[in-house]
Amino acid sequence: MKNQTIRKLLVANRGEIALRIFRTAKTLGVKTVAIYSEPDAASLHVAAADEARLVGPAEAAKSYLNIAAIVAAARETGADAIHPGYGFLSERPEFARAVAEAGIVFVGPRADVMAALGDKVSARKIAVAAGLPVVPGIESAEIKAVRSFTEEHGYPLLVKAAAGGGGRGMRVVADDKSLEAALEGASREARAAFGDGRVFIEKYLARPRHVEIQILGDEHGGLIALGERDCSIQRRHQKIIEESPAPGLAEATRARMIGAALSLARAAGYTNAGTAEFMVEGDKFYFLEINARLQVEHPVTELRYGVDLVAAQLTVANGGHVSELPAPRGAAIECRIYAEDAEHDFRPAIGTLLHLNVPSGPGVRFDSHLAPGVVVGAWYDGMLGKLICYGEDREQARSRMVAALDEFTLLGVTNNAAFLRAIVASDAYCKADLSTHFIEEHFKGWRGGSESDDAALVAAAMAAVGTPGAAASLAPASMSDGRVTPDRSPWSELASFELWKSSR
Amino acid sequence: MKLKRESGEELDLELLGHDGAKVRVRVGERQIAAEVQAVSGGGAIVTIDGKRFRVASARRNSSILVAVGPRNFEFEPVEESRRQHRGLAATEIVAPMPGKVLNLMVKEGDVVETGQPLAVIEAMKMETTLAAESPAIVKRICVTAGQMVDHGAVLIELSPPPDSSGRESAPPET
Repeated sequence: MKNQTIRKLLVANRGEIALRIFRTAKTLGVKTVAIYSEPDAASLHVAAADEARLVGPAEAAKSYLNIAAIVAAARETGADAIHPGYGFLSERPEFARAVAEAGIVFVGPRADVMAALGDKVSARKIAVAAGLPVVPGIESAEIKAVRSFTEEHGYPLLVKAAAGGGGRGMRVVADDKSLEAALEGASREARAAFGDGRVFIEKYLARPRHVEIQILGDEHGGLIALGERDCSIQRRHQKIIEESPAPGLAEATRARMIGAALSLARAAGYTNAGTAEFMVEGDKFYFLEINARLQVEHPVTELRYGVDLVAAQLTVANGGHVSELPAPRGAAIECRIYAEDAEHDFRPAIGTLLHLNVPSGPGVRFDSHLAPGVVVGAWYDGMLGKLICYGEDREQARSRMVAALDEFTLLGVTNNAAFLRAIVASDAYCKADLSTHFIEEHFKGWRGGSESDDAALVAAAMAAVGTPGAAASLAPASMSDGRVTPDRSPWSELASFELWKSSR
Repeated sequence: MKLKRESGEELDLELLGHDGAKVRVRVGERQIAAEVQAVSGGGAIVTIDGKRFRVASARRNSSILVAVGPRNFEFEPVEESRRQHRGLAATEIVAPMPGKVLNLMVKEGDVVETGQPLAVIEAMKMETTLAAESPAIVKRICVTAGQMVDHGAVLIELSPPPDSSGRESAPPET
């Protein structure tokens, strides 16, 4: 009989989402347990929890994906519930099962429901049975079957990982020539990321938007939808900007999508928080998949509905009821700050964070685990934080986002903040000309503006001169003739300007 | 001093002098007059032609990192490049980021064409294919598949292709 109260919650995750979940737990008087890998020992999520347990070395397979170690950590600390966050084990039915079998509450859907919906191929079948429209596709990656599919539907097509998410194990195939390599590459990437190399094929839609419906269900048949989010702005098939409401989406289409998401959730017996993802072209929509977990972009919904989705998840996990919410208000936008070089193919970046300036103000929220000294390595996902802005309408949320990104500075780890700023300030974004090809159409080969170049050159010239030890090799000629001496350099007068930290 | 931007652009930069908060910098033939004012908590306001920029900078190894608002810059002092070699875009294929070598598509002695994939490296679960920037011969493979490598690690050494006009033994141009 479910009517327990969670007293101690272990979060099987790291980074901003672990911190975010702990924050809610604290407001509810729930004790918290962090898990961490060796390089994360000094992370803020570890410091934020009441207790912490080391679960393994850097490699995720041995730490954040180590089911036995995580369940053992919960047992040792007496945690009575585990929240998986997103990514890592959040959509692994075997984890949900292991947690339940250990007598611990899993904050998420039941393992069997997750197994049925988390697998994209099986989810498609359930969706079709529940009457949802799906993108034409086949559940086989067998080359002959794929070729006969392309005879009917043509290229381009999309190869996707059955166990996938976050764009991993996904390939767009333009022609027959690249088909075999794409199937192999997608399968290899899927195996590395999810431990499951199965892939399937879908027709590639010409210019779709990505719109998703947030759902929340309890164990008593209660089920609600919390509106939609437009997540069309993506690079590498991975979202970087999300917003709600979806601009320009016809009310009738929105209502039909919500109806579809609810009937699918009902058919699957879905409980807790989840998201039904759709591709939308005009007034047509196609079911894509269900993410059986809390989404990265959940704050967008929280701001419009005035809810704490993690608190709602814990209520449901405690056996509580969901109830209809008041109508949403205003608009919210989220920008994901990634450690990557937007000017060079979004190449992942690493480094030690040396200086951070976090924006604030009305309607501005920053969910992040960043702090000076944090080492961003190559072991985990490169998301550094999420900047979320709320406004009475889209334009207010958007202008707050531009101002907030202008205020944002992160030194030491190359990141996409300036790129995000350029997008939200652009005409195309103002007009909400949204499709999953937005970046390809409007920001291909983007380079930062030259306006700030001179300020950077001044700083570089000063830094080169003021560098202790490096002065001899880097000093300009003027230094040796006494016009600028090391002790009279602008540096000694503006000592706080530079942060003399090395990444070592 | 000569600095190279992350874009590859080379700049001749000189701090000409300063007077209190006023700073003069020469960039090539051009001069920039700026006012620099420190900000509590690190960083400074750099004012150029009445426009104010929030700036922070730091050193990482030999390079200079600068942030102007949300924008990041990286400057590296230019040394005579050892990697330039007649007939070759690069004599070494290096890891653009720390990660794991997933796949090596060539072996020593292979003749490769421009754009030909040489190796696949995985970081943050994303695969990046490293391709030849010019025709070349694979001189040496320095890593094995599955190996973890650091940023800048040499993965493959290349030598000029057989039909190159350059002599293989020619010293790098200086």
